[in-house]
Amino acid sequence: MEELSLKTFIFYGFALITIASAFAVVSVRNIVHAAFALMVTLFGVAGLYVFLQADFLAATQVIVYVGGILVLILFGVMMTSGRLEMRIHIQRGQLLLGGGISLALLMLLLTVIANTPKWENLTDDGLTLKPTTERIGKLILEDKFLLPFEVASVLLLVALIGAALISRKEIRD
Amino acid sequence: MTLQHYLVISAILFSLGIFAVLTRKNAISILMGIELILNSCNLNFVAFSRFVSIPVDPENIDGQIIAIFGIVLAAAEAAVFLAIILAIYREFGSIRPDEVDTLKG
Amino acid sequence: MVVPLISIILLSPLVAFAIFALSGLAKRSFPRQDLLSTAAMLIALVCSFFLLRDVVPDPEPLAVDWVSIGEITISMGFYLDSVTVIMLIVVTLVSSLVHIFSIGYMHGDPRYPRFFAYLSLFSFSMLFLVVSDNLLGIYIGWELVGLCSYLLIGFWFEKDSAANACKKAFLTTRVGDIGMFIGMMMLFKKFNTFSLYDGTQDGIFTLAAAQLTTGDMVWLSIAGILIFCGAIGKSAQVPLHTWLPDAMEGPTPVSALIHAATMVAAGVYLTARMFPILTVSSSLVIAYVGGITAIVAATIAIVRFDIKRVLAYSTVSQLGYMMLAIGAGSYVAGLFHLTTHAFFKALLFLGSGSVIHAFHAMHSHSHDEAHADDEAHEHDDHSLVHEHGSEIPPDQDMRNMGGLRRKMPITFITMLIATLSISGVPFVFSGFWSKDKILAGVLGRAMEWNSIHHYILFGIALLAACITAFYMFRLIFMTFFGEPRNQEMHNMAHESPWVMTAPLIILAVLSFPVVNHLWFNKNYVIPPEQHHLAAPQHAYVSPDTKTGDANFGFSFFGVSDAQAADEAGGKNGEKADEAYHIHKRAHDIAMALSIIVAGLGILLSWLFYHRRRFSAESVATTFRPVYNLFWHKYYFDEFYDGVLVALTVWKSRLFARFDLSVIDGIVNGVSTVTRRVFAAFIGFFDNSVVDGIVNRVAEVTWAAGGRIRRIQTGAIQTYLFVVIGGIVLIILIFRAL
Repeated sequence: MEELSLKTFIFYGFALITIASAFAVVSVRNIVHAAFALMVTLFGVAGLYVFLQADFLAATQVIVYVGGILVLILFGVMMTSGRLEMRIHIQRGQLLLGGGISLALLMLLLTVIANTPKWENLTDDGLTLKPTTERIGKLILEDKFLLPFEVASVLLLVALIGAALISRKEIRD
Repeated sequence: MTLQHYLVISAILFSLGIFAVLTRKNAISILMGIELILNSCNLNFVAFSRFVSIPVDPENIDGQIIAIFGIVLAAAEAAVFLAIILAIYREFGSIRPDEVDTLKG
Repeated sequence: MVVPLISIILLSPLVAFAIFALSGLAKRSFPRQDLLSTAAMLIALVCSFFLLRDVVPDPEPLAVDWVSIGEITISMGFYLDSVTVIMLIVVTLVSSLVHIFSIGYMHGDPRYPRFFAYLSLFSFSMLFLVVSDNLLGIYIGWELVGLCSYLLIGFWFEKDSAANACKKAFLTTRVGDIGMFIGMMMLFKKFNTFSLYDGTQDGIFTLAAAQLTTGDMVWLSIAGILIFCGAIGKSAQVPLHTWLPDAMEGPTPVSALIHAATMVAAGVYLTARMFPILTVSSSLVIAYVGGITAIVAATIAIVRFDIKRVLAYSTVSQLGYMMLAIGAGSYVAGLFHLTTHAFFKALLFLGSGSVIHAFHAMHSHSHDEAHADDEAHEHDDHSLVHEHGSEIPPDQDMRNMGGLRRKMPITFITMLIATLSISGVPFVFSGFWSKDKILAGVLGRAMEWNSIHHYILFGIALLAACITAFYMFRLIFMTFFGEPRNQEMHNMAHESPWVMTAPLIILAVLSFPVVNHLWFNKNYVIPPEQHHLAAPQHAYVSPDTKTGDANFGFSFFGVSDAQAADEAGGKNGEKADEAYHIHKRAHDIAMALSIIVAGLGILLSWLFYHRRRFSAESVATTFRPVYNLFWHKYYFDEFYDGVLVALTVWKSRLFARFDLSVIDGIVNGVSTVTRRVFAAFIGFFDNSVVDGIVNRVAEVTWAAGGRIRRIQTGAIQTYLFVVIGGIVLIILIFRAL
């Protein structure tokens, strides 16, 4: 176990917040609470991005997820759930089976992570990156990711129109 | 900090997401589980970029770009998902996935 | 110049016909089809004369590849030598004159334009046949000629007799054509080409010559005889001659064309063309067929009263002569006789047409009336026998004629010239020279080879010559001399208009050998290689060759024959010299004998039919069986009717009975057995086994479906459980492995 520096301490803090709030997302009965727990999780991930020196991505995570998707989710909650629907029903058998599968999956992943030698001993010590925003902008807007970027914009447009079409009230003639 | 720290966090988030998708009796909770899964994936991309690509070539941040696209994907997915949920709600008066079983054999 | 000329010759009649055919599509007929067709024919005639100037002794084959099937390439092309050109001139000349004559003769016919269109097609077919350089082309022309003769003989198809005659002509010639086709295919199988002579070593002639020198000639003999079968049908040789006299049912100009230039000439031309492949044995068969035809047809002609039938049998007889000449090796003489005969026989037919036309006034030009007459008779229509005394149309019956020479002087004189020519009156008529050459050729061959066959054939030929002179003068005496037998008809008779007499005069002039001489004076030669090819088995030398006394008609043939002799002499000069002397002697003997028999025939005819010194009736009574034989035409038609047709009908009935009893019985029996045994068994099998299986399968499926459907909960999370659990399981399994 390495030295418990401030940076390490903060990292574990973020990791703990992320995992704990994610656990809350899947376990609390009130869906609004769950949504807020998800917000904490997303913030935690953004913090981890900062630790990975992905500054632009961290900001995007906060803006898009917290500012966009989460609000969308809350709107969905509001529009579909009456007060009675706020509580999430859970069946015991299903809970056990789902937990088993999830746990098995987690064990599997952890085994893989622990037993892959070429992932060992990779550290980020001594590497300080320049801010990434400029490079990302160039990559997306004039370099090799221009085409995926345009495709993504088309995808968003399609999703926009599709969502509008699906969710509008059907006009029966 | 090592790569494995991030991978472990990511794995835990992923498993929790799967758990939510499998067990929650509310469509919106399922959506939250999916968001968790997507986040864990993005975290993986960024972590691998940071620990594998960048030590070789500091200019190479392709993993982050992929993560950005992942976010875009999540946004689109969330929009469509919620639209479908609204439509289902109008049709069935419920968004409990076990009550929407028109395809039951 | 050759190719454009020959194209014009072929195309002009074809275009004339095409205009008629297309005008039919346009539903409006070309206004002057008669002039169009005639002009087309005259153009072809002029071009033929130009071609005569241009033809070269050693012609280049003008062939293009037509069809390629695998290794085999069939070419189409023209082959022009002196024989071709002479045939072209004969065909176009006679055809032109027939066209002109028809303008007068067919005037007022309801299908007047169609007649000329058919004539054009007929001429085109014959011209195509003549210029073709390969057997396939010849065969195409051959069948087209057959088709046209069918159309024209049956031109007045309202008459039952005409309809039957054209069917008979078509079917009878078809019998021979089958033989010809088989022969063609034998040659093709053996030589892998249809081309006769293509300038290289691949033509049939060259290959056949090689075959002749190496031996193994049996199949070549068979092929030659089979091809000759086609000529038997087309040129009306015994035993397939019966269609030609019946073909008189067609309009008289058609008869002239068929007899002189196109149909029957095709057979003789083909046989002469194929001469290089004829072996000695197939030649002998040809000679015998020709000789028998000559004598049989001549004897039949003696007792006919229908003026056209007399001429028809005369043609058959003369065709036999030509075949005899070819079979005896004098194919040049045969072709020469073909050309001279073409003119005087066309003249005779057109003359008889003129006579009939004169009497036609009584019938007010109406063929409808003849038609009505015919229907009134209503004779058995399945009978192929047409000529009985009572059935002769009155305007064709010589017993109604007599004394016409004053009424129709031009017709009389021209027909007399033709008669003198065909009878072989010496020295000033072309017929004498050609016939003399045939007789000389046969006798020369007999003396050279000391062959009893050829002596017999020579005797037959002499006898036929005598009979020919007899019956031809009988025709003249009965028609033009003596007192009118039917005063009413005689009063109506008149000379024909100029469009009809002009061709008669032209043809009369052509019956003198001087004209032939003018034509043939140039040294046209049959290409030497053909003689070379013909040489090995027919080391034949003309009697006239080396003396150079190529007087009158056959000078050009003399030259060509001289070359043949040289070719033969190249190998064995002494032998050729000896052969030459034999032929020279034979020629003298033959000439003397032919003059004697011709004189004898004319004298007898004069005694019988002009001086009435003897009575034909009393002779007929005395030799009643012989007379009956002649009168019934050797019972050929009766034989065909009684035996072949009856056999066919009997065979058909037999087959019908076989069908009804055996085949139907088998079928019915099988159906009964099927119904009783198999159907019952299969029905049981179907009901129990097949249906059982089907029903069990359905029940199992139904039951299984009822249970398995519960897997499908419709709840999405159930599916997710399965999917994710499955993935985990798979990964675990693979990690464990």
